[in-house]
Amino acid sequence: MARKTSKQETTTALIVNEKELSVSLEENQMFTNLSSKLAEIGKMKGVIGYIIRNENSATIDLKKPEKLVEYAIFSSQVLDSTRQISNLFELGDVKSILLEGKKDNALCMNIEGNKIGIFLEKDADKSGILKKVSP
Amino acid sequence: MSDEVLGFALKSTMQELQNVCPDITGNFIFKEGNILAKDDNTNEETASQTVDAFYKITEHASIIGGIDAVSIEGVKGKVNIASLKDFHLTTVSSKKADEKYVNTLTRVLIPIVIKLAQEIQSCSTANETIRSDDDAIETIEPELLENEITKEIVEELEPEDTENIQPEELNEEYMIPKLQKENEPAEVEVDNEPLIPEPPVLQLMVENLTGFRVGSDTVRVDQEVIAQWNELYSDKKINEVEIEALNGKTTQCKFKKIKKSKDEGKGIVKMPEKIQVSLEIAAGELVTVKPIVE
Repeated sequence: MARKTSKQETTTALIVNEKELSVSLEENQMFTNLSSKLAEIGKMKGVIGYIIRNENSATIDLKKPEKLVEYAIFSSQVLDSTRQISNLFELGDVKSILLEGKKDNALCMNIEGNKIGIFLEKDADKSGILKKVSP
Repeated sequence: MSDEVLGFALKSTMQELQNVCPDITGNFIFKEGNILAKDDNTNEETASQTVDAFYKITEHASIIGGIDAVSIEGVKGKVNIASLKDFHLTTVSSKKADEKYVNTLTRVLIPIVIKLAQEIQSCSTANETIRSDDDAIETIEPELLENEITKEIVEELEPEDTENIQPEELNEEYMIPKLQKENEPAEVEVDNEPLIPEPPVLQLMVENLTGFRVGSDTVRVDQEVIAQWNELYSDKKINEVEIEALNGKTTQCKFKKIKKSKDEGKGIVKMPEKIQVSLEIAAGELVTVKPIVE
């Protein structure tokens, strides 16, 4: 008499939140798009370099890599402090921040969670760069 | 003059700026962390927190050589913090504000007011010093003063000089008139030439001057302005003007009247590109223009 065997398979249900997945994909797409725009900007005359970062990734291209920490702290502080100022004066979301330094200039932005800092020499075309990087 | 007076002058200026440009919704000025003046729309707490946030940026700004200006563009408006030497001017403007116009207004007028206030302050300090010196002299007994001066003169004389001096020469009666004569003001030379009035300085906005028949060394100003100069210096020749840009660069060039009637009375100076380059300026910027009287 043949023995009956039963094979039980245990499966774990994989719950995929489509909404979250699509948001994450969109974020990545935005980061990639911005990174490629910045790579082009990085080649322009008078551009010292740039930093772009979001919660998951970061891309850095600087002519003086040894100054990376200083540039990163500076751009981060600019974004924090200007958000605070924007809240104080009820300016709404900050579109762009231009810092005119005594030696160089800096352009900072927060585009949908992607924090960007572009460092420029004084004679660089800041408005042209702003147009290029703006969504 | 105290900071309070400077603050009052600045506050009035800022209020006027808002009257001229209603797109400026708020402004205040600070120095070394202290708010010197603010308009009525800005509250103390907001200004103070802005100052703190600004200084946090400057703490890390050595990488760009320090901060000259910060411009924040938000969805609903703009904030600009400009450094004018030790002073920092914060201007809040609406979204539709013409940034160039606002910057030109604020970055020209405020430094002028600060400079004027400082000049008045230094003048009044000098006057106070002179007055206090006069008071000190007045409080000394005249006799004591005379004796003191006589004594000083005798002491200053070399021993051999003292030996040669006749006793009567050391007499006070002799010394005092001599001293008085020395201290008498020298006769003022009277200049018989008529006084020429100080050339009026005009602040005008630069506009491009283009065309085939445009001299590269000639600017164009209002006919009315030229007429005023001619009236003021009727017997003098004015062939050139001196132009000074806000960056301090100056140049001298010829001038002619503005040809197009639509450009008259607009407070502009039409300038060829060559002169703009030499002054390191561009159209839309302000310059001061004054006639060179020969």
